[in-house]
Amino acid sequence: MTSSDDLEAGLLALGESLDVPSPPPADVARAVRERLESPAGADRSPAPARRARGAPRSGARLRGRVVVSAVAVLLALFFGATPVGRAAVVEVLRFAGVELRIGGPGPLPSGVPSPLPGERRVTLEQAREQVTFAISVPSRLGRPSEVRVSDGGRVVSLFWPGVRLDQYDGALQVVFRKELGPPWPQAVNLGVSGQGWWIPARHGLTYLPRGGGEATARARPADPTLIWQRKGVGMRLEGVDDVHEAQRIARSVL
Amino acid sequence: MLPCCEICHDIREGAPTDDDEAIARSLAGDLAAYEALVTRYSTLAHRTAAMLGAGDEAEDVVQEAFVKAYRHLGTFRRDAPFRPWLLRIVANETHNLTRSRGRRAELVVKLTEADHPGGEVPEDVAVATDRRARLLDAVRTLPERERQAVVCRYFLQLSEAETAQVLDLPVGTVKSRTFRGLARLREEVARDLI
Repeated sequence: MTSSDDLEAGLLALGESLDVPSPPPADVARAVRERLESPAGADRSPAPARRARGAPRSGARLRGRVVVSAVAVLLALFFGATPVGRAAVVEVLRFAGVELRIGGPGPLPSGVPSPLPGERRVTLEQAREQVTFAISVPSRLGRPSEVRVSDGGRVVSLFWPGVRLDQYDGALQVVFRKELGPPWPQAVNLGVSGQGWWIPARHGLTYLPRGGGEATARARPADPTLIWQRKGVGMRLEGVDDVHEAQRIARSVL
Repeated sequence: MLPCCEICHDIREGAPTDDDEAIARSLAGDLAAYEALVTRYSTLAHRTAAMLGAGDEAEDVVQEAFVKAYRHLGTFRRDAPFRPWLLRIVANETHNLTRSRGRRAELVVKLTEADHPGGEVPEDVAVATDRRARLLDAVRTLPERERQAVVCRYFLQLSEAETAQVLDLPVGTVKSRTFRGLARLREEVARDLI
């Protein structure tokens, strides 16, 4: 009769003699890192948003608009879902160059905001020379107290006391990632700028460097934010606590 | 001799030295630290996926699991061990795969030519190999629930608590399934010896 100890020892020895082929760990690590770094990062994103990323070459603007609308519709459908339905899932959705990761009320990232890659302080005039898109200044806020250009002209940040407005190139690429739980973002009407999304609570914000970038992406806590799009330029207004005031500022971008 | 904190400080300049540090750095966006974590657990993750039924798709399962683990790292409780948390994701991915394929989770592994201490005569080696092959067959034919408990406890050498976490079961259930699995194996082995 085989004793229990013999059997258990036999199983342990058997386990050690079993051959499980696996690729070199360093290769696996590299493959995983590539997937995490790819601007796609689209593994969990729904199909329309994934198509939106495959930046169209021709007729980009028109198709871009169609795609953005499709994403907006999808967002509307998603956020319009029953509370039970939306609380259960973790979803990744994209709008105006911002990826929203929506799920449970995860912990806010700690740590102080670090500058964006290559961030430099410039004048508004210098900024206009250094970026390829038109920089808008909301008349409601007036002339910014500070202007910074980052990541080789991909992002321009305008500052007023307590308020920050990021404007960024290429709304078809994900530029910022936001991680949030309830309360959920809400759609707001911005007149000629169409629809925007209001994120009413503090949340995690990560800047995703151009081309996927190195390991510079660090999440920081962000204040309530309004995101929208203006003539193909992504806009992210942070630090205005009242949605109506944020809307008025967005509408004053002419 | 250097005081401890200086040693730690020196080490921290290079690759992350323990899971907690690697996780902290990964959470801060340091993908090189996460790469180190992936490298550390890659082989065990493949072993787990293959033994829980991912078969030749273990590589896909493991990559997916590591990507998901990174994305959910914020939900990982830092005072808990990382290994069973990661393997739970691997087990989950494996389960999703086998379920989507509508197939039974087979134990797909091969016996290797194990090293034998010198002095053994070829006949003894053959007998030992044969005994292993029979035991493996017996494990393969266990009911899936019992087999997974036995695989985790003996082939992956996880503790009862780790097994419970990886298979998402109460510890008591792990104990009883392991016990029943062992009893069944004992019967099989005894039958072979007759």
